[in-house]
Amino acid sequence: MSDLVSFLAWPFLAGLILTGIHAYLGVHVVERGVIFVDLSLAQIAALGTTMAYLAGNDLHSTVTYFWSLGFTIVGAAIFAMTRVHRETRIPQEAIIGIVYAVSAAAAILAMSKAPEGTEHLKDMLVGNILTVSPKTVITTAVLYALVGLFHFIFRRRFLAISVGAHTNEAESIPNVKFWDFLFYTSFGFVVTSSVSIAGVLLVFSYLIVPSVAAMLFSHSIGKRLAIGWTMGGIVSAAGILASFRLDLPTGATIVCTFGVALVLLALVRIFVKGPGAAPA
Amino acid sequence: MKRMLIIGALASLLIGANAQAADKLKVVTSIQDFASLTKEVGGDRVDVTSIAKGYQDPHFVEPKPSYLLLLRDADLLEVVGLELEIGWLPPLLDQSRNNRIRPGQAGYLDLSNGVSILDKPSSNVNRSMGDVHPLGNPHYWLDPVNAVRIAIQIQQKLAQLRPADAPYFAQRLNDFKLRINEANKRWLATMAPYRGAKIVTYHNSWPNFAKYFGLDVVGYVEPKPGVPPSPSHTFDLIQMMKANKVKAILMEPYFDAKTPQSIAERTGSTLVVMYPSVGGAKSGTDDYISLFNLNLSNLVKALR
Repeated sequence: MSDLVSFLAWPFLAGLILTGIHAYLGVHVVERGVIFVDLSLAQIAALGTTMAYLAGNDLHSTVTYFWSLGFTIVGAAIFAMTRVHRETRIPQEAIIGIVYAVSAAAAILAMSKAPEGTEHLKDMLVGNILTVSPKTVITTAVLYALVGLFHFIFRRRFLAISVGAHTNEAESIPNVKFWDFLFYTSFGFVVTSSVSIAGVLLVFSYLIVPSVAAMLFSHSIGKRLAIGWTMGGIVSAAGILASFRLDLPTGATIVCTFGVALVLLALVRIFVKGPGAAPA
Repeated sequence: MKRMLIIGALASLLIGANAQAADKLKVVTSIQDFASLTKEVGGDRVDVTSIAKGYQDPHFVEPKPSYLLLLRDADLLEVVGLELEIGWLPPLLDQSRNNRIRPGQAGYLDLSNGVSILDKPSSNVNRSMGDVHPLGNPHYWLDPVNAVRIAIQIQQKLAQLRPADAPYFAQRLNDFKLRINEANKRWLATMAPYRGAKIVTYHNSWPNFAKYFGLDVVGYVEPKPGVPPSPSHTFDLIQMMKANKVKAILMEPYFDAKTPQSIAERTGSTLVVMYPSVGGAKSGTDDYISLFNLNLSNLVKALR
């Protein structure tokens, strides 16, 4: 049994770390209404990795890592430059979708030219939370703590931009594009590392579901964060346990647990209308 | 008093049974074919489980928690090697924290060491060649002679780990050799009329099989190993197959049948689903010998 606990411990810790940063970033992403921005940035990072590989670099080399980071920064710049365009009314989700589709297709083209070891490439881009190594968990915890600190220091600025996104208040904030660029760069950095640990589906769930669930019950950012973190922690534990009990692939089990938990919370919201419930 | 005696007797029976179960050598294999061959040699003295099931592509395996538990408890791990499992086995092995079955330890058996390997690249592998395994073609178990070589390596390893049972393993190996030799005569006779027949395979996974039965692989549905069929390659392949009067396309059940099916229709050839591993079909592939029986009977229908 103690062995089982030691097998469960690292995936669970990884789940907590992902919850910590993503439930927070998720509040921003949902407020801004850029739900699929993480998929898009992860895909750009993947394209960067593929291009580095095509250029003859080893998959696990530092050079490859910087290629992928460089592509992510370009993506961040694109998203910072294309806030809702008032004259044409092109929604930012459209740009995000286009960037996703084009970078995914470009990666397919690149891979068809350099197919050797596509299984390694796939493996590198889509991590598996079950086999996460203690070393990865620790370095990721340190990195995310630094990103978290950065966001904590500038929290008022970032929150003002995110919350003001629908009301156009954000436009009046000085250097809004620069702050947006910082936001998307740090976000892309986090998402890229997370995807290599846990895979795209799981990262998306950690980002969006806690934040959406919290919106069922509260308006206040602080409360929403608390609800999101609690939910993420509980779902991580429940999902990992279920995956061991039923012997199912761990990542996909956690994603489905998130889905079930959200439905349960929505039912709670219907039957026990909480005082802080968002208006219809 | 009587009751206590009975309970005592029952308990000792249970303990005895447990001790025997615990004494079984726990073997984990990456593919089901090795599990089948290990059962042939190890009989009831081993407990063998395969990670990749026969219906799965052994290049890609989705890690599940039970694999960690299996590996943690294993006394022996048998792998294909030649980097076939590189995408999924190393992290599982790391996480299992079982040092007895790490590469280089007595509990690790890379079966590629004692068999004949085809397609060893003569020059350095480069990226333009596709997903080539730089150490040679890993699909070596699809050759009855290699199967015997694999069984011999397994017998030696089992005898090393359980010296007391060595005579038992040797006896079982001999028995298996007799049966596969018998079957092998039948297989060679079945295939004799089709020596030199030209075939196309989806992936380059049948070179050992083709060489053994004298089949001539003239092309692949994949333009390069691991790359899905492209339009121009498919067009060239169709022309080439018509010119060479190719009668059969061999494909594993886990690849997408659309392109090979349409190629078969345009060239008047037959698409044959060939099971690459024990356990690949719902029935009829329960062990190594029945796997070959089924594959050969399907193939002969197409070549006729």
